[in-house]
This record gives sequence, C-alpha cells and structure tokens, in this order.
Amino acid sequence: MQEVLNINGISKSYGPIKALQNVSFQVPKGAVFGLLGPNGSGKTTLLSIVLDILKADSGSFAWFGHPGSPATRKQIGSLLETPNFYHYLSATDNLKITQAISGRGDAASIDTALKIVKLYERKNSKFSTYSLGMKQRLAIGAALLGNPDVLLFDEPTNGLDPVGIAEIRELIRELANQGKTIIMASHLLDEVEKVCTHVAIMKRGNLLTAGPVDEVLANEDIVELGSQDLNALEGILQQYQGITQIKTTDHQSLQAFFPVGTASMEAINKHCFEQGVVLNQLTLKKKSLETKFFELTND
Amino acid sequence: MNLLALVKIEWLKIKKYPAFWWMFGIVALTYPGTNMMFYYGYSEGTKGKEVASNVAKMLLGNPFAFPETWHTVAFLSSVFIMIPAILVIMLVTNEYNYKTHRQNIIDGWSRGQFVTSKLFDVVIISMVSTVLYTAVAFGFGAWADYDNIGRWAEQLQYIPLFFLQTFAQLTIAFLLGFLIKKAFIALGIFFFYNLILENIAVGYAKFKLNDIGKFLPFEISDRIIPSPAFMSRFGKDMKEAYEKALDAIPMHIALTLLLTGAIWAFCYWKHKRRDL
Repeated sequence: MQEVLNINGISKSYGPIKALQNVSFQVPKGAVFGLLGPNGSGKTTLLSIVLDILKADSGSFAWFGHPGSPATRKQIGSLLETPNFYHYLSATDNLKITQAISGRGDAASIDTALKIVKLYERKNSKFSTYSLGMKQRLAIGAALLGNPDVLLFDEPTNGLDPVGIAEIRELIRELANQGKTIIMASHLLDEVEKVCTHVAIMKRGNLLTAGPVDEVLANEDIVELGSQDLNALEGILQQYQGITQIKTTDHQSLQAFFPVGTASMEAINKHCFEQGVVLNQLTLKKKSLETKFFELTND
Repeated sequence: MNLLALVKIEWLKIKKYPAFWWMFGIVALTYPGTNMMFYYGYSEGTKGKEVASNVAKMLLGNPFAFPETWHTVAFLSSVFIMIPAILVIMLVTNEYNYKTHRQNIIDGWSRGQFVTSKLFDVVIISMVSTVLYTAVAFGFGAWADYDNIGRWAEQLQYIPLFFLQTFAQLTIAFLLGFLIKKAFIALGIFFFYNLILENIAVGYAKFKLNDIGKFLPFEISDRIIPSPAFMSRFGKDMKEAYEKALDAIPMHIALTLLLTGAIWAFCYWKHKRRDL
C-alpha cells in the first residue's frame, strides 16, 4: 500500500528531556491513523516536526515519498495544537489568508468550509469574539479548505461540547469514507477507537506499538465464559489445551486467554459440555483500546 | 509563490489591523504638527521689522521654503520613528502571540517566505511614512514661500534618504520584536535604547571617545539626514561641523545599508534554524 507519511528514526531533545526517541512508523494511504499517548508523550512534538515547526535532532520523514517541503505541506490540511488565527480578522478573512498561503480552494470553498463546521452565520465576526469551541471548529474548517486528501488533526475535539464532539467524529468518519487519509493525535481513547483504522501508541517519547487497530489490540483472543458453577468451569478449563491464562472477572464469568487466532468457540463449547459443564455465556471479546493503552503505558 | 502574492497577504493582515490606522493617523498629525511648531517659531522670530528679526531672517533663510524644506522636514519628522516602530513591533509579536508564525508555515510558506513577508511589512510601513513625509515637505515648501516653488525638484535626494533611514531604524525595531517575541519588552527596550541610552552614549563619545558613537545602530542612520542647513549659519565652527556632516553622508549610507542588510540576513539565518 502506498504510504502518505513515512517517519524514520526521529529523535528530539529539549535540553536533558528526550521528547522523542528514535520514532519510526508509516501512515498508509486512506488510513485513519490515531496517534495515542498520555500528556507529554511527544505526540504534538512529532506532528510539529513533520509540519516543519520544530527541527528534529536526527531522523527523517517523507510525505508522499518526498522530503517535507512547503509544497508537501500545502497538500495537507492541518490543525496543530491550538487554533492559530489573527484575532482582529473575521473567519472569512482568516481563511482568505489560509487559502492564499496554501493555494487550496477558492473564494467559494471558504464558504463551503465554513458551512461544514457550522460557522457560516458568523463568518463576518472577528475571531476574538468566538467561543473556544467555535475557534476549534474554525481551525478544522481551515484544515478542510479546498478539500485536501490528507488531514492532520491534533486533538480535534479540544474545547468542543458533547454535540460538537459527536459531530466532529461523524465528520471524520465521513472524510474517511471519502478515502481521505487522516492522522489524528488524541488522548481520548474512545474517540480513536470509534474512528481509527490504524493506531500508534507513544509514551515518554518512545513508540510502544503501531499498526492496524485490529492487530495492535488483538494480540490475544479473550474468551468470556459463564456457567452455574464457576469453580467447576475453571477446573475443566485448566485441562483445556492452548489457554495461557484464566481470570475471574465479576463472579459471574471467567476470561480465558488464548494466543491470537487460536480460540475456537465450538471446540471450547464442546469440551465444556463433554466435561459436564453447561455454559450460559460464551463470547469472543476484543480487547478494548483503553485496556491495551493502560497495559502499555502503565509502569 | 511570487512576491506580489506575498505582499497581498501581508496587506490583508495590515489593512484590517486597527493599530495600523492609528499609526497612520498619528503620523499624519505628528509630521505636519511638529514642523508647524518649528515653522511658527521661525515666523515669530523673523516677522518683526526690527534689526534682530531681519538678522535672524538673513541668517536662517527660510528652512521651510523649497528646496530646504526637503531637508528640514525630513530631519524634524525623523525624530518620530517610534510611532511606526510600535506598529512594526506589534506586527511581528502578534504573529507569535496568535501563533500564526506557526500556522503560516503549516499552511505552506517556507520559513524564508515568512521572513520575507515581514520584510514587506517594514517596507510598506516605511513607504507609508515616506509618502506622508513627502506630502508634508511639499506642502510646507509650497506654503512657506511660494516664490521658490520653481526649485521644488532640488534636493529631492532627501526622499530616498528619509525612506532609507526609516527602513533602517524600523529594521532594528523588527529585530527586537523578532528575537524578544513579547511586545511590551521589545517596545520598552526600543524606547529606552533609542531615546535615552544611545543619545547619552553618542553625546559622551563625541567629547571623550573621538566620536566613536557614530557607529552605534541608530546613529549610523541618523547621520544620513544631518541637522538642517540653517544650523550651519551660526558661526565658523557650526559651518565646519555641517559641512563635515554632509561629507559623511555617503559613508553613513554605506554603513546603514551594511547594518540593515546584516540584520535581515541574520533574521533569515536564524528563522530557518530555530524551533517555532
């Protein structure tokens, strides 16, 4: 698959603090790529480097197979960290500047972008009169200007109310359906889990894991089982081949862990029945991103 | 991106910035106002019939008549460099304050184009100041002594010299805003240095250090527009000093170009390397 962004061994220090340590990963074309990590993990630093706001100490990156340049940045709609606009200018004038610098879109596309982010009615108001959520939406509007194929959002739902968050999530889904590549940094895990196809998890400047969401999350099959007699169930499961670990969850069910792709529901069901235990619950569960995240990032 | 597109973008930022129009208004009042004050002093001192008035008139000539007006008005107006300097400092520190210095790059400018855009800001503001100066100097020339209007085209070199001096001194203001990033600190340093520190240093150096103060940043370009010609008519020493000042203009033009060029080269060099 063609890569939109290729990050290769990027490191960055602020004095003694190592903000990024040899980070490498690829963003395939058409992916919704979630960049996850606790506060201070280096997400924004990394995105700043690929947008030429910060200089890496070592390593390199390429957009569309070429080293980063003004020409490559013009093809990417970006929202980095905060909405950055001229406070004394209206939304329209601010987007005129975005349009003139990036060359994306035309006069009509400014109105289109403002309509998408629901600011059209306030297009002539000064940026300084906007609420936090409106400022954020204008920044998303600026990124959408001219309908670029690649979008980069750093915490896109910052400052938005629950309805606004749902709308942006929906918008990101819609954009993904149109085949756009979206790179999104966030610490809101459910947000990422709901929309992302790929994920990278960072902690203190290190990349812990990266890849398609299914692969990152499903490094184990988790089977949840329940029966009248949990002790008996646990006893017979211990004889079952292939289980790596058994956990009691809530006194009503057990979790049995298998290496990825090896759990067969039919076989487990058959084994239990033959051993005289009737199951009242049998589900193959996907590990939640939250569980995975805490597992990876907790010391 | 061509340079015209860059200028258009900067003009969009400037023309809707209320401080620009405040500066324009204040400069539009200050330039004629200050010159008016001096002109009034001159008229009062020379209008009488008594001997003293006639002597003063003979001595001074009319500093506001053509072609002297170009020189006199340039000298008196250039004292108010701090007004456009405020605007220059605000325009660059605004970019940091709004973080648009990052957004402009994110949207597709190179770092060099960003510095070029700011260079145009300083050029635009210097041009506006020069246009105002030219209008005021021409107005005084026509009004103060209409008989001399035929000599309007003499000493026109003061127009480019005024532009160069304004541009050079606003470049220093830009450098402070560019490096310090905080408007109030940059303005404070600019005022303290420009109005107080350098004047003391130049004055001291004149008597104690063989006039080495002429190489200080503002003094370098201050001396491309020396004191008006009538100052040379108060005795031999003054005449010599005036002629010496006129002779030094080419060297000060060269030094001004050198310093201004070096400042901009430094800004390009610095901006290409630093974290934004």
